[in-house]
Amino acid sequence: MTAAAISARSLTKRYRDVVAVEELSFSLPPGTVTGFLGPNGAGKTTTLRLLLGLAEPTSGDALVFGRRYRELDHPARRVGAVLESNDFHPARSGRDHLRALAIAAGVAATRVDDVLALVELSGAARRPVRTYSLGMRQRLGLAGALLGEPELLILDEPANGLDPAGMHWLRRFLRGFATDGGTVLVSSHGLAELAQTVDELVIIDRGRLVATGALDELTAGGRSLEDAYLELTGELS
Amino acid sequence: MSAQLRAELLKQRTTRTNLGLVAGMLALVLAAVLLHGLLLPAENLTDGDDQVQVVFGWGEVLGALFAALLGAMTFTAEFRHGTIRPTLLVTPRRGQVVASKLLASVLIGAAFGLLSAGVAVGAASAALAARDIDVQIGTSDYAAVLLGSTGAGALWAAIGVGVGAVVRQQVPALVGISAWLLFVETVLIGDADLVGDLGRFTPGALGRAASGQEPLLAPGLALLLLALYAAAAAAAGWRATSRRDVA
Repeated sequence: MTAAAISARSLTKRYRDVVAVEELSFSLPPGTVTGFLGPNGAGKTTTLRLLLGLAEPTSGDALVFGRRYRELDHPARRVGAVLESNDFHPARSGRDHLRALAIAAGVAATRVDDVLALVELSGAARRPVRTYSLGMRQRLGLAGALLGEPELLILDEPANGLDPAGMHWLRRFLRGFATDGGTVLVSSHGLAELAQTVDELVIIDRGRLVATGALDELTAGGRSLEDAYLELTGELS
Repeated sequence: MSAQLRAELLKQRTTRTNLGLVAGMLALVLAAVLLHGLLLPAENLTDGDDQVQVVFGWGEVLGALFAALLGAMTFTAEFRHGTIRPTLLVTPRRGQVVASKLLASVLIGAAFGLLSAGVAVGAASAALAARDIDVQIGTSDYAAVLLGSTGAGALWAAIGVGVGAVVRQQVPALVGISAWLLFVETVLIGDADLVGDLGRFTPGALGRAASGQEPLLAPGLALLLLALYAAAAAAAGWRATSRRDVA
């Protein structure tokens, strides 16, 4: 049996007195796009950081392909991730940013121009990132995540700053990625946007799992994703 | 490992930060050497020890300072701009990230030290010649000035990496390093003599001794002792980077 692309098992992260994530368990089947939902401060970003080895769990396991991220042999070839929309040195060009990542990841240099073309940034590639719009930075981040042709994409709020055309592009891209066998975990606040893109949902609130399952099930009986979400997270009172 | 080192060296080449550091370093070297060499009374510049300490030695002092700033910024700039996240996603084994930053910084720091000392030697020779003061230092002194500064630049760059990895925030790290070298060591430990003979064994003083500015401590021994500081700083940086979460 192949390991789930992502599995969290009783995952807990405490910062002094604050519990950011508590006993969270879920797993992602390969080949699906999963929306990761929850109110601000629910622990979404913390969970993603735990899965990606940027933070250590207080207890429990955060595994990708059955292993801790830090123990993957070629992490960039298995997992691509974007956690923030502006993780670039402002004076470095988009292309040089990707070149440095490609070298460290052991990816062929030609791949840099490929991913730049894929996210439609070839024309701006040699300009310093400080001249990029937010949407361009989102796409550059995605290009970095795609360098190693990963099987799993983890994206935190990738739609921020995208215009309608960019949104449309992202949605099609994620669908295509999953159709080709890839797995996507995408956190977002744009519920209507997500409803058109995802197959599965993981909803958390105050660090705990409140619902997980197929989008169809959660929105059964004509209920909108927004209604389902508000009800599950108790935001509707 | 070599891939991580090549990536780090590419990062160092693809912003103008290092050009700015070199320009600042050389401007300060020229200012310090020429101000002292041209303006101090001639009797303060007649014997060889004085000449090394008062004019020729500035290359080491400023080379070490800027090498340390460079080393610190390999970490603090990544935290400041958030590039630490993609860096660690691609290379999650953090020891490799620390090692590549150490190696890259040691290489560039050595170049900083050599360049700074070379410019200082040139400017000092010119300043003394302009005043018809004979240069009283010999081949071995020149070797100490140039090689000691190269070694001090390399080792101070490693100290900077350790400080940057522990402190993470750019401004406190850079201000802390500058304040240590320019104020704590020179004013409190040097001029005010707060720790007596121990002042010879502070890391800045060891850098100066490595370039022959301390008659009581041989340059080779000084470099060896400075390497212990560098190793301790690198170990602290490795520990902090391995254990602490990244936001």
